[in-house]
This record gives sequence, structure tokens and C-alpha cells, in this order.
Amino acid sequence: MKKTLMAAGLTAMMSTAAAGETIGVSMALFDDNFLTVLRNGMSDYVDTLDDVDIQILDAENDVGEQLNQIENFAASGVDAMIVNPVDTSATAAMTQAAASAGVPLVYVNRQPVNLSALPDNQAFVGSNEVESGTLETFEICKLLRGQGLTDGAQAVVLMGELSNQAAQQRTADIHDVLELEMCNFIEIVEEQTANWRRTEAADLMSNWLSAGTEFDAVISNNDEMAIGAIQAMQNAGMDVEEIVVGGVDATRDALLQMQQGNLDVTVFQNSAGQGEGAVDTALALARGEDVARTIYVPFELVTPENMDDYMQAN
Amino acid sequence: MAELTSQSVEGGESPRRRRHWPAELNALIGLVGIALFIEILGWIFVGQSFLLNLARLRIMILQVVVIGIIAVGVTQVIITGGIDLSSGSVVGATAMIAMSFAQAGEIYGEPNTRAVFWELGWVDLPVIVPLAVGLGVGLLAGFINGALIAYTKIPPFIATLGMMVTARGVAKWWTRGEPVSFPTDQFAAIGQGMTPVLIFVAVAALFYLILKFTVYGTHTYAIGSNQDAARMSGINVERHLVLVYSIAGLLSGLAGMVVAARGLTAQAGMGIMYELDAIAMAVIGGVSLAGGRGSIMGATIGMLIFGVIISGFTFLSLDAYYQEMIKGAIIVAAVVLDVWRQKRRAMEG
Repeated sequence: MKKTLMAAGLTAMMSTAAAGETIGVSMALFDDNFLTVLRNGMSDYVDTLDDVDIQILDAENDVGEQLNQIENFAASGVDAMIVNPVDTSATAAMTQAAASAGVPLVYVNRQPVNLSALPDNQAFVGSNEVESGTLETFEICKLLRGQGLTDGAQAVVLMGELSNQAAQQRTADIHDVLELEMCNFIEIVEEQTANWRRTEAADLMSNWLSAGTEFDAVISNNDEMAIGAIQAMQNAGMDVEEIVVGGVDATRDALLQMQQGNLDVTVFQNSAGQGEGAVDTALALARGEDVARTIYVPFELVTPENMDDYMQAN
Repeated sequence: MAELTSQSVEGGESPRRRRHWPAELNALIGLVGIALFIEILGWIFVGQSFLLNLARLRIMILQVVVIGIIAVGVTQVIITGGIDLSSGSVVGATAMIAMSFAQAGEIYGEPNTRAVFWELGWVDLPVIVPLAVGLGVGLLAGFINGALIAYTKIPPFIATLGMMVTARGVAKWWTRGEPVSFPTDQFAAIGQGMTPVLIFVAVAALFYLILKFTVYGTHTYAIGSNQDAARMSGINVERHLVLVYSIAGLLSGLAGMVVAARGLTAQAGMGIMYELDAIAMAVIGGVSLAGGRGSIMGATIGMLIFGVIISGFTFLSLDAYYQEMIKGAIIVAAVVLDVWRQKRRAMEG
């Protein structure tokens, strides 16, 4: 309660400070690398704009907290809101709260479940999650074919947090690609969650290796877990260059692993681009302009050939 | 007065002395039972041994010692009748801050211009600097916890809950949420290979001996058994509580550096829920939440039970869901056992 009051107080202070537009942002959580790039992308972009103020709050992965923040923003009269939903299935209440206050709302990065039912002054800016896991897995499939393993290859899958839509979608993409005739020579021998985290993935991989699990490829839902798996394989004395390892995010740590020949595939999600797109869309809606309901920022495949283009991106 | 002191301290210890069935023994039986159960399932369903595998035994211990280091401190706090909810957040804060002082100046031959203190030139510092900073941060957090609890008399649950939120805030604020990666080789060595296990063994052995053979240990048990009696007998309860919480904070700080060195990265979200796992390890190992009873040995067995479960379920290819459900059930079972034991003791009077 105290926190809510404080947030309300701060919001009120912020909105009287500037004459131009004010955007209130509620991020699902601050301590996530990818979302941090997105968040900093938004605030850096707003710094380049005249007369636009932005206030970013941390919902601390709590749906209730996020709804409070949205209602506080609405009450304090922001011109538009950007929400990075904690839980994509809980967006109906948020849409309603913003709509009843008449404040435009832009969802960013995580696709709301009520996307097709959004009112005119709400939109979604993000990437089509189906692309990421598909790009990653298809490239791994091609690499394994290139190694001449078409008689049969084995892969282990590292999943993100099981309750998370991106983790579910990317894992589903992996299965979809491996059902293709071109890729069905790959068999998944182990599939477990490491909750997006590096150390958990390292422990999981060590456990697999100690059980004698054999595999040709590691397909991870994100880069951090792929790095954890690489570290565990190195500790076990394996030649990681012989294993095809794929992740998603193209983080700086991951690209350096790619430089070393350990990581073979990653997928770049233009998080800063999503942040800028969300700010632009929010401003357009605040000014009463028409915008498309869904604005997709494409995923991009990153391999050792084009990795230099991405070194400075994240 | 001297006589009185020794008498009440004896009084504080007497429940341990009666030792017809030490709590640690229950935990040990549990550990062996669970391990054998998984071993048998392993032969039936996987066709290989669970325990006779050196690599698996290594990871079984390695994956729990970081929280084990925390549990050594938390055990002492619980013996005084308190609780420490801040450990996980202190891990996050120390990992971030210490790692910033441990960054390498060069990564794969390129200058590491994104190091936190690059502009100040604070890269490639000797490992003693991040170690001192990290231990200092942990100690400070623990000292604040202890001072709040001892001198303002607010319940330990509230004081350390406050620190839990504050320290997590510090961890996020330090670099605006950006991860801090690429430590010097010296710092990385803290987390590589079996070093974390050695650190745990050293810490656990040290505090096992201290609790058993020194005045510090006697006072810790005395305060947990009966705080008023301890005060009457001349123990400076306030000063002692500050010391116990400071040690717990220090060990959380140490754990923070080990986890960062292991992953070669520090992230603001590190250590989430570690405090609860550490408390659970202690409780499973027979450390009584009512205070006054328990030992580092018990907490160590509790830690090993966690390790066996995590490795065992991965070994049996069971989903993470079941892992959590069973972990929860074991924690509750351990507390029920503790309550049951206390009741019996009271009846025997």
C-alpha cells in the first residue's frame, strides 16, 4: 500500500514537471538482461525527443502490482502508457483499466492474450515469437545436416521458465521444426527447464553429462542458458566446437562465445528497436493518430558470418 | 555470579545433552533413504547406478554448496531463535558490487570498455580488492540486520524482510540492471572446479568447531533456548545478536562472490529464493525454528538432501514440477517431525 502511494506521489510529481507529453511505463521486471536493454532503449530514445517525459516503474513480476501502476498512471493523467506485461494472460484487466480512463496503451515485447480484441487506442509492439525458435532450430538442423548426420542426430533442449509464453512458444517451435521432413532425423533425448538462468543450465548440463547422455546439439530457449551449458561442457573436458549450440537474444556475452567458436547460432531480437517503436506508437496514439494494432519488429538470425553487425547492438 | 553463569548456560545446553535420538540422525537416515530409493529406481528405469558415478557426485555437491555457505550462517541465526530472509538479496547485491571490482581489462584480446569502472581505470585489480569489497558489503548488510533486531527490538522477520527488499534494490540500482561479466582469472578461480566445495567445507568446519567449543557457541544456544535467562546470566544478548547476524551477512556475501565467479557473470536477479532454500536446508537438517537446537552438521546433511533430490530427479528425467512439489513436502515433513519431537520432550519434561 505504501509503495502504491509512493508511486502515485511520484507519478503526480513527474507529470506536473513537463509541459509536453508524459508516458508512463510499467516493466514486468528490472532485473532481466533483455528487458533492461529494452528499457534503456526507451529512455535513451526519449532523451533525444523534445518535450516528452517518461516514467518507468518496476512491476517486480507481480501482476497485481502492475495493475496498480496502470491505474495510478491513469489517475495521474499521463498521455499514454507502455506496458510490458508480467503475465500475458492477465492483460484484459489492464486493457479495461486504460480504456475506461481513456488513456492510450501500448503493450511491448510480450504479446497480450487479448490482442484481437484491443480497442482502437491500444496496440502491440513486439516481435513474432514464432520466428525466434524457428530460425534457431532450422539453422541448427542445417548445421547438423552439413555435418552429415542425416542418419540420426540427438539434441537436448533447455527451456526457459515454464510459465512464460516465450519459453512455451520457442519450445513449441523447436518441436515444429523437428517434425519437418528435412529435420526429422533429429531426436530430442532430454528436455528440461533451467529457468532462463546460466548457473541452473550449467548444473543441469553437468547432471546430464554425468548420466552419460549423448547429444550432437544443444537447443536453448535463450543465450544465458546456452552459455551455462557451454561452461559445463568445458568443465567436463568436452570439445564444445564439435557440438552445435544455439540460443536466442544475441547478448554480448553470447556473441563473445560465438567468437570463440562455442556458440553456433543465436537470434537477435531488436529490443532497443521495440522500445523505440513502443514510444513512437504511444506518442502517435496520444496525438490521436491511427496506428496498426500490431507492429512487428522482425527477429534476425545471427551466425559467425554476420555476428560483427550485432556486436554493438545489445 | 560465575556459578550462576555456568549453571544457566548448562541449562541452555541440556536438551542437546540428553541426545537419545539426535535430530541429525533423522536427517541422515532421510538422506540415505532418498539416495537408495533413487539408486533403485535408477537400476529399474535408467539401467545405471545413481551413486557410483564420480561426475554425478561432484555436481550433486557443487550445485548446492553456494546455498550451503548461506545455510551455515542462517543456521546460527535460527539457533538464536531468529530468521534471516535477506540472504538471497544480499547475494545479488554482493555479486554485482564485488564483480564490478573484479573485471578484466581485456576480453579475448579486446579492451573491455564496458567494464563498470573502465573510466576510472579500475580493471585487473588484485583479487583481494573485490573479495574485501564483497565481504564488506555482506558484513554491512548483516550488521544492519543485527543492530535493528537487537536495539530496536523489531522482529527478525521484519528487519530482514526490509533488508531483503533493500538489498535487491541495491543490486538493480548498481548498474541500472545491466549484467556485469568477465572477471579476472584470479576472481574466476573462486568459482571454478571444486573450489566452491572447498570454501564450503572450510566455512562449515570452522563454524562447527566454533559453535561446539567456544563461548560464542555456548552463548548462541543459550540465547535461543531462553533469551531472558541468557541475559540474567550475564550474556550481552544485544552484542551477541549483532555478531550472529553480521556473520550470516558475511557468509551471504561470500556466497554471492562464489556464485558470480562460477557463472563468470553477476546479474541483479541472482540469489532469488536462496534464503528460503537455506532455511529449508537447516530445517530439514534438524535445526529447530523455535531456537536453541540444531547444528552445522545437520544443515550440511539438509544441504546434501537437496543435492540428491535435484540430481536424482534430473537423472530420472522427471519434470521440474515434481521436483518442487517433493522438495516442499520434505520441508513440511521435517518441521512436523521437529514439532512432534518438541512435544515429546515437553511431556518427558
